Amino acid sequence: MHPLSIGKEGEEVVVRCLDCHCDDVCRLNELGCVEGARGRIISNQKSVILQVGEARLAIASTLAKTILVSPQ
Amino acid sequence: MNKEPLSIALVGNPNTGKSTIFNALTGLRQKIANYPGITVERKVGTTIIGGVLHKVIDLPGAYSLNYKKLDERIAYETLIGSYEHEEVPDLVLVVVDSSNLDRNLYLASQVMDLGIPVMLVLNMTDVAEGKGIKINPDLISSSLGIPVVAISAKNKTEIEKLKGEISNFDLSKPEALKWNPDDSLKEAMDLLINDWIKLHTDIPDRAQAIEALRLISEGDFKDAFYTFEDEGKGRATIRKAQQIIEQGGGNPMAAEVLLRYNFIGESTSEAATHSAQSEVSITDRIDAFVTHKVAGPVIFTLVLLFMFQAIFSWATPFMDMIDLLFVEGGNWVANTLPDGMLNDLLVDGVIAGLGGVVIFLPQILFLFFFIYILEGTGYMARAAFVMDGFMTKVGLHGRSVVPLMSGFACAIPGIMATRTIENWRDRIITIMVLPFMACSARLPVYALMIAAFIPSTTVLGIFTLQGITFFGLYIFGIVMAVFAAVVMKRIFPTGQQTPFIMELPAYKMPKWSVVFQNTAERGKVFITEAGKIIVAISIVLWFLASFPKTEMPQVVQSESTEYDSSFDITENPESYQLRHSFAGRFGKMIEPVIEPLGFDWKIGIGLITSFAAREVMVGTLNTIYSIEEEDGESSTLKEKLINDVNPETGKPVYSIATAISLMIFFALAMQCMSTIAIVKRETNSWKWPTAMFVYMTALAYISSFIAFQIGSNL
Repeated sequence: MHPLSIGKEGEEVVVRCLDCHCDDVCRLNELGCVEGARGRIISNQKSVILQVGEARLAIASTLAKTILVSPQ
Repeated sequence: MNKEPLSIALVGNPNTGKSTIFNALTGLRQKIANYPGITVERKVGTTIIGGVLHKVIDLPGAYSLNYKKLDERIAYETLIGSYEHEEVPDLVLVVVDSSNLDRNLYLASQVMDLGIPVMLVLNMTDVAEGKGIKINPDLISSSLGIPVVAISAKNKTEIEKLKGEISNFDLSKPEALKWNPDDSLKEAMDLLINDWIKLHTDIPDRAQAIEALRLISEGDFKDAFYTFEDEGKGRATIRKAQQIIEQGGGNPMAAEVLLRYNFIGESTSEAATHSAQSEVSITDRIDAFVTHKVAGPVIFTLVLLFMFQAIFSWATPFMDMIDLLFVEGGNWVANTLPDGMLNDLLVDGVIAGLGGVVIFLPQILFLFFFIYILEGTGYMARAAFVMDGFMTKVGLHGRSVVPLMSGFACAIPGIMATRTIENWRDRIITIMVLPFMACSARLPVYALMIAAFIPSTTVLGIFTLQGITFFGLYIFGIVMAVFAAVVMKRIFPTGQQTPFIMELPAYKMPKWSVVFQNTAERGKVFITEAGKIIVAISIVLWFLASFPKTEMPQVVQSESTEYDSSFDITENPESYQLRHSFAGRFGKMIEPVIEPLGFDWKIGIGLITSFAAREVMVGTLNTIYSIEEEDGESSTLKEKLINDVNPETGKPVYSIATAISLMIFFALAMQCMSTIAIVKRETNSWKWPTAMFVYMTALAYISSFIAFQIGSNL
């Protein structure tokens, strides 16, 4: 398990833990980024673009550090 | 078949084609206005299905019923039946993006819990097919227990199919809580409903469960949604409900979400199948380039440069045509009507003032046309993402980019759009710097000054000096906004940071009919809303500039005759009349204050009137110069400014230094009463609009002073 912020481009991941402020958890959840969701890292240049299902989420680096993922 | 008129609400996530369906259903039978007391747009129209006239409401887009913004709250309140200005719909059409089904069904599953008849509209089926997604609407319908219709709203015949489904729907209500909340969540909901919601709110029974779930996941009352009799007790009840879930091993923030997504996953597992696609899609390839940390900001700058160059050069022929039309129209009216006050009022007041506004319509239309294209293609969200790192450094937020870019059109929707910024400090800084973005109201002044005083020299083969100056003014506004944000970041204490997160919609061709329709709507709003004020002010100005009637003294070369020191032998009677009018006297009074900026009393009158709205400046100058114009003479305002000579010095009133000083003043000064009013409303205090007015106007005065003094001494 590692923070999303250090994931590699193209890496297939499973969201394991959202260790961020409750408002951010709510926002991530409603966008489909829930614990257990499978995704793919599209881009990681400090900020991350994560594909979760068919939704493509742009996530700030500070927030990406608090999202723990594991390889699929 | 439904023979009763229905109230049909359209609900859905942003970028699902909801507005396209609304436009297709209602056609020209629609009305766009603000909800009472707020500036959220209410789109309502009618559609005829099977000979019955139904009302259609396009509710603001939302990702869930856990509202974060005012427009989402209106959608929520309407659906739960708590919004006094909107009736509870008889039927809700939940519009979903078929290419992103699971995420979209989250909102649908919440709406299904509200006890209102629901129909699911699977839109963008063509996009889904393009992505290799095959959907079986019948299977989804039987899983969710609601009617499902699959369409592509671009296709007219499929809109007829949707109408047919609406006509045949028996309006049965869906089963609430079909996603099956677990025991601890049910217990927590019951506690909140019985101990708080039933006792302290008017929320109808059918919507109490959804309100309980909202309070559990939020953990607090985010705002004064309803009047609390005992807020402390409410908070304690919410905490108790959360503890029940924690004791059951769940997370109160995520319990509902996870159960809903499980239900959605089960419902779509067989109904939506994905065929193997190439690992790297076209969107991936474009994103790799457009969101690149180096290429991204360069592309963003080039997009803006192209946009503003195009606005300036493409609009020019249309503006010349409008200008000519009003000049010729004015001449025709002047020659047709008998001489007198009515003739003067119509020609110098109404037509001159109106012409000064309408002439800028082409540029306004081009600006919004580009903004809607950027939104429609999906690039706007990428721009926000690309700029987030930079914005955070200067004290703003990635989400500030969209309000700031909206500020190019008008500060008011931009300031309203700051509601998407959840952190108060980020939001207030964005509000305070947003009016520096060059709004469309400044455009008339910039366009006039540039056309009159900046040469149209070609630069680098494709650009003109005029286009680059125009672009430079927009960049100047951005730089000043950044500078102000950096200063404010040091002044305002750092609170809880809200990190950037945004959905990036798939790239797609914009729906041209929507782009044109929305652009036309903005043009209409500009003409009707700004035009009303400007014509009214133009008439008042005509009066102030035309009265009291003063006869120019005869030249008497007798030494015994007392000489009128205000009289200049070279002056024409119209100019003499204007200088002695109410407006002229007032302009003269303030002239010593604005003279160091290179402005004369005529510009002074324009500055005063433009505090009502910036675009009034051009109308004002048009009125003043029309009054000053000699009978039978007809020229455009641009020519009048170029040829205007100071009777005392014999030198031109406008130099390049004056034009630059004036443009800088307009770039920086807070000259918009509507913006001040909206800042007061958004911050709920006079402190912020007052501070905004003082610091922006002081900055404008100092900057214009420096620019003119340097420019005139070069």
